[in-house]
Amino acid sequence: MEIKILGGGCAKCERLEELTRKVVEELGVEATFAKVKDLDAIMAYDVMSTPALVIDEEVKSSGRLPRKEEIAEWIQAAQ
Amino acid sequence: MNVLEYLAVLLQTGLGSLAAYLAAHVLLCLLPAFFIAGALSALFPKEAVTKYLGRDAPKWISYPASALGGFVLAVCSCTIMPLFASIYKKGAGLGPAITFLFVGPAINILAITFTGVQIGMDIALARITLSIVFGIGIGLLMAWFFRREEEARSQAAGNGRAFSHGASVPARTWVFFALLLAVLIAGTLQVGLLTDSYATFTLPSTWAGGFQSWLDTVVPPNPSLGIEGVSVHGMLLIGLLVLIGVAAWLGLNKVDEGVNGWTFAALGLISLTLVVASFKVVAVDNGPSTSSGQGLNVGITGKLIAEIVLIAAVWWMAIRHFGAYEVQDWLWEMWRFVKQIIPLLLVGVFLAGAARSIIPATWIETLAGRNTVWANLIGVLFGVFMYFPTLVEVPIAQTFLSLGMHRGPLLAYLLADPELSLQSILITNSVIGRKKTAVYVVLVTIFSTLSGLVFGWFVK
Repeated sequence: MEIKILGGGCAKCERLEELTRKVVEELGVEATFAKVKDLDAIMAYDVMSTPALVIDEEVKSSGRLPRKEEIAEWIQAAQ
Repeated sequence: MNVLEYLAVLLQTGLGSLAAYLAAHVLLCLLPAFFIAGALSALFPKEAVTKYLGRDAPKWISYPASALGGFVLAVCSCTIMPLFASIYKKGAGLGPAITFLFVGPAINILAITFTGVQIGMDIALARITLSIVFGIGIGLLMAWFFRREEEARSQAAGNGRAFSHGASVPARTWVFFALLLAVLIAGTLQVGLLTDSYATFTLPSTWAGGFQSWLDTVVPPNPSLGIEGVSVHGMLLIGLLVLIGVAAWLGLNKVDEGVNGWTFAALGLISLTLVVASFKVVAVDNGPSTSSGQGLNVGITGKLIAEIVLIAAVWWMAIRHFGAYEVQDWLWEMWRFVKQIIPLLLVGVFLAGAARSIIPATWIETLAGRNTVWANLIGVLFGVFMYFPTLVEVPIAQTFLSLGMHRGPLLAYLLADPELSLQSILITNSVIGRKKTAVYVVLVTIFSTLSGLVFGWFVK
């Protein structure tokens, strides 16, 4: 599974990555992480506001910090 | 004066303004403002505004929407750039994007209230009104200057899918904002109904009068330099703030994962502090011979009653009408703003305070003591080349004001500082290119200078 965090290093983006890594670890899923900081690359996903969470090239959330249970659901659904 | 004495004076004025600032300004203005900023960021769906910024939106909707959108969207500087870039590239185009970029930093709730309380409501209102008017003006001008390129670009631009998601704001969220806003207004508005005391009583204490005179020698009030003293009441509030800091650190850092006892301790202390700050307290000392003549004179103000009712209503709504996760998210955002802004602000206030005793008042008076084009231009250029972090421009401006700067150039400085720093010019440059950035910078300089000048004519 390929997980991307879109956002230019603001506190929320860091927190989103931290939460997602924790969920991945708890579920014991194989996943690669990538941070996308380039504005053009972010906008290619049609995302208006960061942080955004992209799982297997699909935007799951943007502009907010999703809760842990939500992230877990998305990751399980993507498996 | 030898070097040591000189340093001591610097330290004293710096610490003095820091203490006066914490006791007088932070509480009733900044504490609620942080909660509002957090709520805007966590509870307000951004799509409610961005749906008006898509490429199909007519001008008379997209320009006002991008001007006012800054209020809800730009509470965090890290959200400005992606939004700016996407409004420009995929949304309504160059004009609204420029309007958003210009108005955004000036219109956020923290900046407005802070300016109003520390410098004056006239400047705060002028700052909002003029930045909205000029933001739209500059946006329209930019769109007109580059109309050919815009046409070519809008054909090449990708789809506007990012803007098509709509969302509406639920009624409970509006009510909640109104309540939070009311807490802020009740605490800061200077009208008789709120500031008058309806009952007074005296707490007997033998130390209060002495403590107050000791405070007056440690932090001497100096009205000519705009340095306020610190009261016994103020010291109590500073103590409470320190306790809040400790409880919040333990209870709010990971509040998005769950609440703990410290979370409630921090919130309880914050509520208590707002209530304590609303009392009117004066230490009286009628001489050591009469023990009854010494103590703290406490007044029950209209503000106090309003704050108690409103804070209770906020608690009730947060518990009854919002989900646990929404509240946690709100608190997490609020605390994130505090951690991001307060340390910079404290350092800024200290340095701005110390600077008062270094900068000779005659310099400021000669450069910007009168409302001239030249003085306003200096205000703007200072704002561009000195980059101060969010909100620190306010204590700096207050220092200038106390050193004799005219309110016109002061407004010019306050308009230019957040809009136009070297850093923001560089980022803008990377999004819209060198030529457009240069035109933008020139326009902002002209408009800020003009608005300072015009505002200066109206105030004496």
